[in-house]
Amino acid sequence: MSNPPKPALECRDVTVKFGDVTALSDVAVSFAPGQIHAVVGQNGAGKTTFARVAAGLVQPTAGAVDVMGEEIRTGHVSQSRAAGVELVHQSFALPPSFTVAETMEFGATGKGGIYSRKSLAEKWQSHLAGLDVQVDLNRRIRDLPIETQQGIEIARALVMDARVLILDEPTAVLSPSSIDMLFARVRRLKERGVTVILILHKIREVLGIADTVTVLRGGRKVEGPLPIAEVSAERLANLIVGDAIAKTLDRHERDALVGTKSPVGEGAGHLENAKGPSVLSMKAVSTRPDSEGTALDSVDLDIRPGEIVGIAGVEGNGQKTLVRAISALADLASGSIRLAGNDVTGEPLAARRAIGLRIIPFERNVEGLSLTSSLWQNWSARELLQGRLLRLIRPSAVREACDRSLKDWSVHYHNSAQKAGSLSGGNAQKVILAREVDREARLIIAAQPTRGLDIGATAFVWQALRQARDRGAAILLISSDLDELFDISDRVVVMLSGQVNGEFRAPFDIASVGAAMTDAAARTSA
Amino acid sequence: MKDSLTTVVRSLIFVAFALILCALVFQFAGYNALTMLWAVADGAFLRSGAIEQSLRWALPLFITAVGVGISFRAGFFNIGAQGQFYVGAICAAFAAEAFKGGPAFLVIPALLISGMLGGALWALWPGLLRLRSGTDEVITTLMGNFMAGLLLVYVTSGPLKDPSGSGQQASSRPLDAAYRISDSLGLSPTIIAIAAAVGILMWLLVNRTAFGVLASLAGRNGTMVEWQGARLWKLGLSSFLISGALAGLAGTIEFMGPNGRIASGFLPAHGFTAILIALVANLSVLGTAAAAVFFGGLASAALYLPIMAGLPAAAIDIINAAIALFITARSKLVDRVLRFGGRPS
Repeated sequence: MSNPPKPALECRDVTVKFGDVTALSDVAVSFAPGQIHAVVGQNGAGKTTFARVAAGLVQPTAGAVDVMGEEIRTGHVSQSRAAGVELVHQSFALPPSFTVAETMEFGATGKGGIYSRKSLAEKWQSHLAGLDVQVDLNRRIRDLPIETQQGIEIARALVMDARVLILDEPTAVLSPSSIDMLFARVRRLKERGVTVILILHKIREVLGIADTVTVLRGGRKVEGPLPIAEVSAERLANLIVGDAIAKTLDRHERDALVGTKSPVGEGAGHLENAKGPSVLSMKAVSTRPDSEGTALDSVDLDIRPGEIVGIAGVEGNGQKTLVRAISALADLASGSIRLAGNDVTGEPLAARRAIGLRIIPFERNVEGLSLTSSLWQNWSARELLQGRLLRLIRPSAVREACDRSLKDWSVHYHNSAQKAGSLSGGNAQKVILAREVDREARLIIAAQPTRGLDIGATAFVWQALRQARDRGAAILLISSDLDELFDISDRVVVMLSGQVNGEFRAPFDIASVGAAMTDAAARTSA
Repeated sequence: MKDSLTTVVRSLIFVAFALILCALVFQFAGYNALTMLWAVADGAFLRSGAIEQSLRWALPLFITAVGVGISFRAGFFNIGAQGQFYVGAICAAFAAEAFKGGPAFLVIPALLISGMLGGALWALWPGLLRLRSGTDEVITTLMGNFMAGLLLVYVTSGPLKDPSGSGQQASSRPLDAAYRISDSLGLSPTIIAIAAAVGILMWLLVNRTAFGVLASLAGRNGTMVEWQGARLWKLGLSSFLISGALAGLAGTIEFMGPNGRIASGFLPAHGFTAILIALVANLSVLGTAAAAVFFGGLASAALYLPIMAGLPAAAIDIINAAIALFITARSKLVDRVLRFGGRPS
């Protein structure tokens, strides 16, 4: 019995290539059993690929995976599951029309058959209660708050007696208080002997929960697993960012990018600069319900020139509809919208854009760019729509203008005829910035503008928004990342169930903003 | 530039593959494949007068195919060119009855315009159904082809019936010679001028207007263009109407030119060949011109084969079908051949 315990999960020199792209490169890491391990890194570092290899969803190009000292066949979900490895995905995919009990029964076992709802509910009641998921088992998934859905997803993963549970970015969709509840749940799993691997990207979360931390960068393991007591936040931040980029960032910016401590905002605030009449003024705006998201319920919102207003909220509380309402893409039931002094309530998007509305939309690859079209066509779409459709253009002149603009925005590309889909996420977002952030921009809507971007690209986007603000544009920033919101917003407005549920000014208090995000008084179950 | 060159090479490889496949089929069917292919080439382009004959078929096909390309570019799969071609010809034939006796310099343009309006009308209702209620335009335009075919049977054996007809194939009364734009050989300066005008205007529309760029973006990603503030239905419906009008124009040219009348079930493959041409050309206007000449040549060879070489005209159908097979399969094989020696950018 003198042998050290076998690692719960061990990757031996795992390499994963997708075509020309190397997602993981010779990653060797071993996780001790019964602990909480954090795996951190910026976007594109290979965290999710690592999780998918362990779960058998990705076949590594080279290398082996051991579970409890036994090598498993890689690339087969069934093999990983049989060995006791379960993965909870970043965007979990529970069937929305199923009840909780049905989800547990069929999601966990994959078997069909005749059943009664009542017996199913009884069968799963105790399992869920044992994991602190308090929920009526006859409710449908789509009616449940996101944190409860996550609890069910975890419970489902544990049905098969999982010994290693991997949670891929479980905090990304949660409010601060739900994160605390998730961490409490994770600690209880540890007490039950489950090895938990958390993919995270905020240092303060790592320091708050993990026993060890492993850092990935650019598909390689930089360090780890390091016992948490032996690393400082400072060192961890530099490991994640990398020395080269760390030098180019100021300390404050870096801390916001890696979430070192609880964010409070710049404090100084630029609100003195925000003068003059509102650029955007929404009065009691309600939208008709549609299939695309929570409808707005009597929303009032004012943004003046020279300020960045951040919209905080758990995803799915009407942020999408807010953007669509301002963009004339959602039907208003009542209320009015004024843009730069003009009543645009009944005006189409083209008219609103002519006044100076610019949009960096949520879905970069769907709403923002046509991936199979050329860069210059994507770039020129906004300007081409400003005039008559049948006017003659000179493509060579448009392409030259496009080249100049993309160079200004330091987009890396070969030539403007290449397809937008061939660019990396950061470069693609820069093309959208080049199109949307121009001198005539009065109101810029930036919806999740840094989602999926690495740290360098994220800092670039923040800088671009700040510069536009300093030029006098009004900016509406929607983000589910509180660090981002607090770092660059002058004001933060919280949305809950399609309503404005509080407004905050720097310095921001994460606890009170977090409370407004979930309306803690009204919703205690989770 | 490299992009368009790749497109040309790819199309040529498709056609080459198709011809090899056909040669195998012919060989198995007991013909000498090389003789057969030689006869096709001879009938299409090599013998004296072949080029003129090929152009006679190529020009109307070009006009229809350019229109097909414009609707495909905008993301609308208008496969109703055949029906729009018929309805255009029918409208022109009715207009010819109505304007009978008028001066030719007025009547001829009026007939051409009527034909275009007829074709556009036959594209309007599937377009509206798609934009208003999301009805799949592939289904509606396909049904439209059958409806137009039956309409043609009705008008040629009813209101426009030629009483002196032999009865084997119902046809309309012949158009007054004064209004004909070509003799029965079917190639005339007027038709060449119309095709050239269509080619130039449509090339400008596609390559040199804001509409061209935006319609192409809309065809590839409508959502993105909507977020830019475009009205999708405006781009989509106008592309749809242009394609219908051009098919109608081609039908009118066949009516006013080589045929001089409309007959039930005439040129039943015109619209589908035009779709094939647009696809082979990868929807580019210049490519469509080249592909139209090639397929025009095949159409002309189809008439030549049985008479001059004693071979079945169906050989041409097999070639067309083989090309369609390779084009629609978007053969990975061809992409691999193209990648050979260098990575695609």
